[in-house]
Amino acid sequence: MIRFPTVLKHCGFALAWLAATWPRAGHAQTTDDTAALAAALAADVSATAAPEPAGGGDSPLMPSIALIFDGAAAWFSDRDNLQSGGHDPTRTGFNLQQLELHMESNVDPYVHFAANIVWGPDGVELEEGFAQTTALPGNLQVKAGKFLNPFGRLNPTHPHAWHFVDAPFALTKLLGGDGSRGLGTECAWLAPLPWFFEARVAVSHPDPDTGRSFVDAAAAKPVHALGDMVWTGNLRQFFALNDDWSLYWGLSTQQGSSPQAFAGSTQIYATDLYLRWRPVANTDRSALSLQAEALWRRRDWLGRQMDDWAGYAQLVAEINPRWEAGVRAELGSGVQDDPLDKAWVGQRQRHTLQATYYPSHFFRLRLQGSVDLPSWRPDPVYAGMLAIETVIGAHGAHSY
Amino acid sequence: MKKILIILMFFAMPAFAAPLQVVATLPSLAAIAKEVGGPLVQVEALTSPHQDPHYADAKPSLIVTLNRADAVIVNGLELEVGWLPPLLQQARNGKIQKGTPGYIDAAASVQLLGVPKGVIDRAMGDVHPGGNPHFLIDPRAGARVAVAIGQGLGRLDAAHAATYQQNAAALAQKLTALAKAETARFAQLPPARRTLVAYHDSLLYLVDWLGLRQIATLEPRPGIAPNPQHVAEVLQQMKAAAVPVIAQEAFYPENTSKTVSKLAGAKLVSLPGGARFPTETYEDHVRGLAQALYSALAP
Repeated sequence: MIRFPTVLKHCGFALAWLAATWPRAGHAQTTDDTAALAAALAADVSATAAPEPAGGGDSPLMPSIALIFDGAAAWFSDRDNLQSGGHDPTRTGFNLQQLELHMESNVDPYVHFAANIVWGPDGVELEEGFAQTTALPGNLQVKAGKFLNPFGRLNPTHPHAWHFVDAPFALTKLLGGDGSRGLGTECAWLAPLPWFFEARVAVSHPDPDTGRSFVDAAAAKPVHALGDMVWTGNLRQFFALNDDWSLYWGLSTQQGSSPQAFAGSTQIYATDLYLRWRPVANTDRSALSLQAEALWRRRDWLGRQMDDWAGYAQLVAEINPRWEAGVRAELGSGVQDDPLDKAWVGQRQRHTLQATYYPSHFFRLRLQGSVDLPSWRPDPVYAGMLAIETVIGAHGAHSY
Repeated sequence: MKKILIILMFFAMPAFAAPLQVVATLPSLAAIAKEVGGPLVQVEALTSPHQDPHYADAKPSLIVTLNRADAVIVNGLELEVGWLPPLLQQARNGKIQKGTPGYIDAAASVQLLGVPKGVIDRAMGDVHPGGNPHFLIDPRAGARVAVAIGQGLGRLDAAHAATYQQNAAALAQKLTALAKAETARFAQLPPARRTLVAYHDSLLYLVDWLGLRQIATLEPRPGIAPNPQHVAEVLQQMKAAAVPVIAQEAFYPENTSKTVSKLAGAKLVSLPGGARFPTETYEDHVRGLAQALYSALAP
């Protein structure tokens, strides 16, 4: 007697197997063979044990879970400071930057899932939650869900991977205080070249909180066509110059409709550079990294074209496993009557210094001082911050 | 028709003739794999012996290397957890993901030491929950790894399975003989000389193999840098037991060890962090290691 659910299960396994073993170049297989193999496999499937978990300390079937806390004591010379990042300390006194719950695991042999749930000053939010393929043919990798858009170097990362307590204003102004992210899908292709060359295209649903250059909270428009979405394009190349020196270079763009304008559009273009020197034989794991991003934006707004730009450059010295120091310079322009940043009418500069102490790999104390020089205000804004970060749980590795 | 056949053969040829692309995370694993695979494999190592394998950079160039691999050989036990997982995930290579025959976990074949008992906690430092991962320093473990790699490569390239297994068995035999000879040689040393202090808890398997006694580590807990109070205690212990040697892999910092060895009247032995692949075999690497230690311990 055949029970219906069993048949369904077998069909499912057969389909999954077919998808995974679909003939590729160099592996010619006739459809008859494939079908016969699939049938045989489906018949065997109930007798097959689950694959043994490969070595390592993963608990069986438990996702990796990490909890990351960032908080800061801060002082500002002016209560009306210009902090605009979603994780930035914004007031004199104690500030919660975030409590991030990170979970990830393989879903099955073809898909990996990761989620970041963030408790911030404004409540709980699903910051990211996405599935990503691991074994698609053609050097492709597809992501779907809610995720940080592949724009520039800093945007796709989390505060835990940042080298300063707050986010550069170039990103918070042009992409948004919470970074550019959203519900959508992304396709990334690794070119078959001798060096790392990756192209990514992402499309995401416009959301005022995470795409301020494209949609306005007061006038959110429904999506009618693909052109109403936010499109992100990114090209990245990596050059291992030698064992000690590496260069990572990216070009990014974002395109979409302009907030409020019925026929206009917004375009953002950016380039990012990461030059890292890490002498491979240095026993203190010392490294020196130069990171810079420059962004340019054009918006159509009620028959007018508005162009502005902003960027930052930072130099970070990892002295040894315990100490790190960094300096960051930021510069950005403003336009008259900008509906997004009404007060921001001229150039702004900010200069920041930080020193970080790591008692261990999972705990850091960061002291930071900055001077903010908005040309439209009579006095500079000084800021001092002491931030702590703790990481518990199985925290995953960082991308380069 | 003939033309089509020739074109088809042209495309099909490399699939049969090309050597298996094997990527190993550590240079010692690469050296073992090369000896097991011979001309049937092309081996690349993701790190060099100068690098602390806990803390390699996840360079995107390594994604390209992994993208083209037919097999990846990892040390396992979370030694590479700080950099390998994102590389594997971005490699877009279904052949080398965990759970596939192309993912060869060396640790799975080794008799493990230092497996923590009971509940572990980060207050204990960077404890590896599955056991101490630094087994490649011991040729007895190396022999088991060679056999496992032979089986693993045989699964991927069934036509040459017998060759891989023969090569692996031959290498395992050489390594076992070397291990025995060195154990016997070290046993000749006076018991008082058979002690050492390590920097990190990475010599556990070496100490077990050569019948030594590890008095302490300079790190108070694994992965936590030495602090003055702990170092002072270690110095006391070294003086009390007349420990002749502080030994550590070349990728660990030497400032503290130099000072302590001077104060304790001990020698500082810098051990190579892995085989100098591709110029040095794993066997020569381990022999050199034992020799460096022996000449420091011998009275």
